[in-house]
Amino acid sequence: MSLFFKSPLDIEVLLDGEESRKHVEVPNNTASDTKALRDRLPLYEDGESISGIVTLRVKEGKRVEHLGVKVSVIGSIDMIRTHGNGNGGSSKRLTNSSSGLSDARKNSVEQFLCFSYDLCPAGELQHSQSYNFMFKDLAKRHESYRGKNVDVSYYVKVTVIRKAADITKLKKFWVYLYNNVSLPPTSVVNQRQIENGEENGLVRNEPKPVKLDIGIENCLHIEFEYSKSQYSLKEVIVGRIYFLLTRLKIKHMELSLIARESSGLQPSNYLIDSTVIRYEIMDGSPVKGDTIPIRLFLGGYELTPDMSCNYFNIKNYLSLVIIDEDGRRYFKQSEIVLYRSR
Amino acid sequence: MSYSETLEQALIVVRQQAVLMQRCIQQRKLMDALKHASMMLTELRKPDLSPKQYYELYIMIFDSLSLLSSYLTDNHPKLHHLADLYELVQYAGNVVPRLYLMITVGTSYLKCADSPREEILKDMIEMCRGVQNPMRGLFLRYYLSQRTKQLLPENAIEFNANFVITNFIEMNKLWVRLQHQGPLREREQRTKERKELQILIGSQLVRLSQIVDDNLVIYRDNILPVILEQVVQCRDVVSQEYLLDIVCQVFPDEFHLSTLDSLLESTLHMHPDVSINKNVLTLIDRLNGYIDRKEQEQETAQVDSDLFKVFWNYLKTLNEERPDLSLQQFVPLIESIMALSLRWYPDNLSNLNALYGFTAQKCKDYGKAIPQSAEYLFVNLLILQNFEYVKRSAALFYNIISQCESFRELLSLQNVPLQKSIINTILDTLLSTSTENGDVLVIDSKTNLENLLSVMEPLIRFRVTATTRRPSNSALGLSDDPTEDEEGNGSWVLDPSQEKLAKFCHLAVRSLPKESKQYRNVENQVEYLLLLKNWYYKGGKNIKYTYPAIITNFWKLIRKSHLLKSRQKLTKETENNYSNMIKQLFKYASRCINDLFNVCGSSVIDTVYKLNIQSASLADQLSLGEIAYDFFSQAFTVFEESLSDLNTQFQALVYMMQSLQKTRSLYQENYYDSLIVRCTLHGSRLLRKQDQCRAVYLCSHLWWATEIAVIGEEEGTTTDFYREGKRVLECLQRSLRVADSTMDNIQSCQLMIEILNRCLYYFIHGDEHDTHVSVKYINGLIELIKTNLKSLKLEEQVSEQQQSATRLQDLHIDDQDTTELPSRKKFVMGLDGTYIEIPRTNGTPASISNKLNSVYINEMIHIPLEHFDRTCEYIVNQREIDDRFKVIVV
Repeated sequence: MSLFFKSPLDIEVLLDGEESRKHVEVPNNTASDTKALRDRLPLYEDGESISGIVTLRVKEGKRVEHLGVKVSVIGSIDMIRTHGNGNGGSSKRLTNSSSGLSDARKNSVEQFLCFSYDLCPAGELQHSQSYNFMFKDLAKRHESYRGKNVDVSYYVKVTVIRKAADITKLKKFWVYLYNNVSLPPTSVVNQRQIENGEENGLVRNEPKPVKLDIGIENCLHIEFEYSKSQYSLKEVIVGRIYFLLTRLKIKHMELSLIARESSGLQPSNYLIDSTVIRYEIMDGSPVKGDTIPIRLFLGGYELTPDMSCNYFNIKNYLSLVIIDEDGRRYFKQSEIVLYRSR
Repeated sequence: MSYSETLEQALIVVRQQAVLMQRCIQQRKLMDALKHASMMLTELRKPDLSPKQYYELYIMIFDSLSLLSSYLTDNHPKLHHLADLYELVQYAGNVVPRLYLMITVGTSYLKCADSPREEILKDMIEMCRGVQNPMRGLFLRYYLSQRTKQLLPENAIEFNANFVITNFIEMNKLWVRLQHQGPLREREQRTKERKELQILIGSQLVRLSQIVDDNLVIYRDNILPVILEQVVQCRDVVSQEYLLDIVCQVFPDEFHLSTLDSLLESTLHMHPDVSINKNVLTLIDRLNGYIDRKEQEQETAQVDSDLFKVFWNYLKTLNEERPDLSLQQFVPLIESIMALSLRWYPDNLSNLNALYGFTAQKCKDYGKAIPQSAEYLFVNLLILQNFEYVKRSAALFYNIISQCESFRELLSLQNVPLQKSIINTILDTLLSTSTENGDVLVIDSKTNLENLLSVMEPLIRFRVTATTRRPSNSALGLSDDPTEDEEGNGSWVLDPSQEKLAKFCHLAVRSLPKESKQYRNVENQVEYLLLLKNWYYKGGKNIKYTYPAIITNFWKLIRKSHLLKSRQKLTKETENNYSNMIKQLFKYASRCINDLFNVCGSSVIDTVYKLNIQSASLADQLSLGEIAYDFFSQAFTVFEESLSDLNTQFQALVYMMQSLQKTRSLYQENYYDSLIVRCTLHGSRLLRKQDQCRAVYLCSHLWWATEIAVIGEEEGTTTDFYREGKRVLECLQRSLRVADSTMDNIQSCQLMIEILNRCLYYFIHGDEHDTHVSVKYINGLIELIKTNLKSLKLEEQVSEQQQSATRLQDLHIDDQDTTELPSRKKFVMGLDGTYIEIPRTNGTPASISNKLNSVYINEMIHIPLEHFDRTCEYIVNQREIDDRFKVIVV
């Protein structure tokens, strides 16, 4: 509508210290995949107050009547589709067509955060007017996320209520949740370990390496080993692959990190895998007894930590892919937990 | 990122990206520079390149990365920190470019003083495992090695050595793996490619030797065992052969000397197809080179252990553990060890004996006949021809043959032609070096001579199978030996090897050790000679080549004994000894001649005849009339019984005559008389009249002895010449009768003129009443000749040219060309009645024929005419100095 009717009022939201605040660049889903288009959003964390100034600018020589001005901070989970097509089982992968969809296609399924208060009572605006606002120690349950089917977005919303259509302005911001303690799957493990042993601190400090035996009978037998199952986003995955038997003519071997976004309501949810990292770790075909080192720095990639809520969850998988000379691919996925740390 | 389709494109991309990278470096845009570097490196991912093509790419990239590296080091703490960059480049998605970048950054960091060197090096080499493709991996690791060359930490030999060894082991694994890539039918191609790449692996060992420097302990305890283990374990032929070779080449000699056992031990565990001998040869070359270098530095090579023993034990072990090894593999190995022994222990021939014995045993074990392709191996062993530092002197072979019993054994296991050729070579050496000054071969005992001869036995017995066999005519052949035809009647195809044996005979008699007592010396020589004779006798018909040499040596000894005997101050006893010795020697010579006759029969008649006469002459010269008579009678026997060829008969008689004429010791017992009468008789019984005539007038000289100045005779002083003028005249008359009765007019005239010449000889040399050849007789003879010549002239024909010339003149045609007559051919007659054409130009040989075509009748007529003219001219000329000639009417 705003395309057709020029709004009589400009709303500007300026957050306190926005210039100096750390920003996060987020790919803009609305545009097609060109990397150049990215949103730069100010970054907040859990419990941080959010304050700023709202300026209402009236077009010269105009007056705007309103029924009050309201400011609110909103956190919502948006989705394109909430249900599967029903044919083909409970879990569905969305086809690629969904990736180009705009934010507008995503509908809010839950507003998990909504605080608002009036900035001024009803009246008439003749001059530009500014108002301070402040939401103190705002708790933020989820981390911002922009995915294929799901978004978690935060914004400050200013609404000028009118008899006719309201005038609103959104100011988006981005939220990171730092987490030093790991998320549910590991906490279970930790608890168990606490029950079993006394030196729980030691367990936490020195996580056990993960060892996977992978094989195709009489054809390939490898040991896939990496240092631990949980990584902070800045950490390095270190490991090795030990070839016990290989009759394949391997062309190369890759390690990839796959983020799996699972959304919708159980049991019919959408699974969308996106390969976040593709990292060649071996060229050529090894022989029995060879060990291939793995070292993958995570810090340089844009990764999503694991998340989980009623409507969706994000999981990360480490995937080992072997491609043989005939182009056949052999892979093994193994879940790892990524968390954000300071 | 993907690489280019073709090599050309790849090269273009590399060039472009290199330029872009350099530009970014200049503008200090590091991130962009790294991006271009990474794009450039992507081309190194390209598969399906040959080693050469890949190297082309590699070398271009290497140079560009050097620029990047120095930029990184130069700006290290100011613009960036290399530790950060080391992490940064690891985000590269593809493993090959990532590792090249890591190594480039890592090694740049190594250049900085504050870097954690060992950690970086360890990390780089560990991460290189990510490239398992053989070619890309090899080049990557080569890059690592090249980049770290100057940057390994100082004073950390063990760490550095481990670093290089690790890299070496991985490279070798990749290299071996290359063999098994791709389809089976391209195996050959793979092997070729691998050989092209071998230098990359070899360079690691070179690096290692630079690091180890002269630290033997580390080499022996830490490095070599690891290398050898790797070499053995890779079980790859190409790799094992190459690496062992390189190990032998790059490390110092002293190292090899103290690690010989482990080096040799490792070869026992090689792949069966590895030619161990090549490696051992390299090793031995090194050891031999070591002694050379030490000698050049005027030091002595010191070795704790007996090298030969080490290798000898190794050889035995190898023989036990690897019975599968072929002769082709074993023999070169033995040869190398022989080379070692000859170089290090040149005087210890028992080593060689052991090796020869070992080889002989190998041959026997082989069971079958040795294949032709392997023969040369044994030749090498036996004639030591591949050892450049060994002077193949006569003494060396002599020592080997006399001290190494197994030499003969091994030689005897070879096939006959091969044995023959080997012995030939040895004989050549024996014969050639003995002529040099100062290098005198001494055969110090009879046993050793026997050893030499037994080695030569195959050659002594060797038969030349005549390639063109004449149909044998047993009617003509005097021998009843059925094998006679094998060699053909008197086929004198000269076999060079028999000639060498004959030469050796002379050498052997010369080469015996000198005794202080001369008599003993001669005795020894006789013994040697008899030994040679007995051995050569085994050669059957070959003795016709060798026996003359032996007989000649007997003659020599006879003369020598005679000389020694005639020295003064000899005791009676020694003098007697010498006399007996001489008699005995004549008997030996006679035995030889008889053997020669009995074995070879008619084919050597001529030789036997002459040898007898020569022996006779020798005996005569020593005043041993009895012996001389015996030899002469032998010669007559041979003549009477066996000489059947017309020409030879005449020649033989002439030979006999001239020998007899010079004898002086036969006058007692009428030996001389009976011999010359017999000789004349044989002359008069020759078949052809012209031969009879000539033989008889030559025999006239037997009754007219002339002076021999060497024994002190002098015409006019010596009074007891054997001269009987009457007999002389009788001979001349008889021959004249024969000449007169010859039907061939020309021959007849010629013979008469020859008799006239004989008469003139006696006319000059004796008084008329001594010689009974009177002026009257001579004048009568001249008359007779003149008459005969006149009638001979009538036979002359007017030549066609003359006829035609006259005709042309008659026709008044003046033809320039025909007026000059072609000069006639010119002939003379030889003393045996042959026609000799006098060549027109100097230098061309005269052609000789027994008969002339009657076309040349005119020319033939001219022979006696001209001869007579010359004789007359002589007579006229003689008148000036001798008045007696004036009474001869010409």
